Amino acid sequence: MKLKNALTIASATDAGLVRNFNEDSVSTNEELGLVVLADGMGGYKAGDVASGMATMIIGNELKEHLGKGLDKSNGVDLETELLRTAITRANQAIYHAAHNKTQFQGMGTTVVATLFRDNVVTIAHAGDSRLYRLRGEKFDQLTVDHSLLQEQVQLGLISAEDARVSHNRNLVTRALGVTQTIAVDVRQERAQVGDIYLLCSDGLNDMVDDADIELAMRSIKENIPLLVRQLVMMANDNGGHDNISVAAIKVEKPFPLRSGFFARWFGAYV
Amino acid sequence: MAKLVLSMNGSVLGNYFLEKERFSFGRKPTCDIQINDQGVSKEHAVILTVGNDQILEDLGSTNGTLVNGEKVQRHILQNGDVIEVGRYKLRFVNAKAMPDMDFDKTLMIPAFDRTKLKQEGAVKDEADTQSITTAAANARNVKTIFPLGAVRGIGGENTGREIDLSRSITALGKPDNSAIITRRPVGYFITHVVGKKHPIVNGKAIGDDPYPLDNLDQIEVGVDKLQFYLK
Repeated sequence: MKLKNALTIASATDAGLVRNFNEDSVSTNEELGLVVLADGMGGYKAGDVASGMATMIIGNELKEHLGKGLDKSNGVDLETELLRTAITRANQAIYHAAHNKTQFQGMGTTVVATLFRDNVVTIAHAGDSRLYRLRGEKFDQLTVDHSLLQEQVQLGLISAEDARVSHNRNLVTRALGVTQTIAVDVRQERAQVGDIYLLCSDGLNDMVDDADIELAMRSIKENIPLLVRQLVMMANDNGGHDNISVAAIKVEKPFPLRSGFFARWFGAYV
Repeated sequence: MAKLVLSMNGSVLGNYFLEKERFSFGRKPTCDIQINDQGVSKEHAVILTVGNDQILEDLGSTNGTLVNGEKVQRHILQNGDVIEVGRYKLRFVNAKAMPDMDFDKTLMIPAFDRTKLKQEGAVKDEADTQSITTAAANARNVKTIFPLGAVRGIGGENTGREIDLSRSITALGKPDNSAIITRRPVGYFITHVVGKKHPIVNGKAIGDDPYPLDNLDQIEVGVDKLQFYLK
């Protein structure tokens, strides 16, 4: 089973209606089952440099390592380790660029990444870009924002309902390129046929209610490219105050690493 | 910088800048604003500054704290809010704290010091991780100015059935042959989702792009025939 045939992947990114620049970056790699979305910030128009570096470096790192035909036997949590290492490398590269070139000073980026491999999805993130999942009747947010707003709620300073009137939604507590080391949250989930995963920058979830994001995912399950376009449109219809990026992955078939006799001989995904 | 304008019976008594993370008011002399009023408790309320937010919290005062006439326990202050304690009024001024808040570029700030906040008694024990909806209160879905739309079945299984198109998206048809009607600020649109046959509007098949609907348009999605109308 080729991974490409097991997953449907689509993405869209848009500057929104207020900003002149799009500082978000999205990259998808169907062969690797990798989707990376980054929301850049800071610097003089350098946000897109930071987010572009993040998606590129993470993609290249994984291509290099997974291309070697590594499989489960190399370690229990190979994907977790690979993704964490790739993001750490991206952080270092952005950090160095930001500190060595004046035009990149102060740049940084959030990141959320999903790696689909062997019927498992590995999820990594830093910052306030999100991952949602629709699984049958259940709609969940699988990432917890690294933002001041989230911390305020977590600490009981304000209620989850009050988050809507907070002025802190734009303050992230973690971002790539800002400090020499980065704490990355990584988790793994068993993927199921029919699951739809949605990565997005805050330009979507700050403009479109979670309930409407869920409604779109339920209504447009059978057309993933339309789903991402529709969500971008809804964010713009509601004001489009920020850059909007959306990527969606639908699991069409199981994607075990070794599925048959030939797979055992010729390695992964033949 | 956020500030409070203290007044009684319409006369301004002073301006106070919220320069401290924790700013208190009450009858006690140690409070940042001392208010000598029998209706005010010794330590009446406090304003905590967290990032761009100023959070007002009543400290279990006898007579309570009002914001814009309503009793509050905890409240994120918005520009122009009027806090009432006893006979005194405190007007909150912070141009940055507008309800239609700016979507300023995301800034990186360090996580705040939990231990310190705990020592100050400002925070409760950590709650379970919870998802929060950040959609801005002013980002109302679909600010529609046109009347509510609806469809009624005029052929197929759904004949006679009526569906209000009140949500941002309404799905029509079957899983293998479906369309959506979207409610947008400029009107209603029908879009093909999946299936060999694209929806037909007034006898003509639509393309891949969203197609604007007019009052009394006739729609076919698969075997279902519907009429779109504005209420």
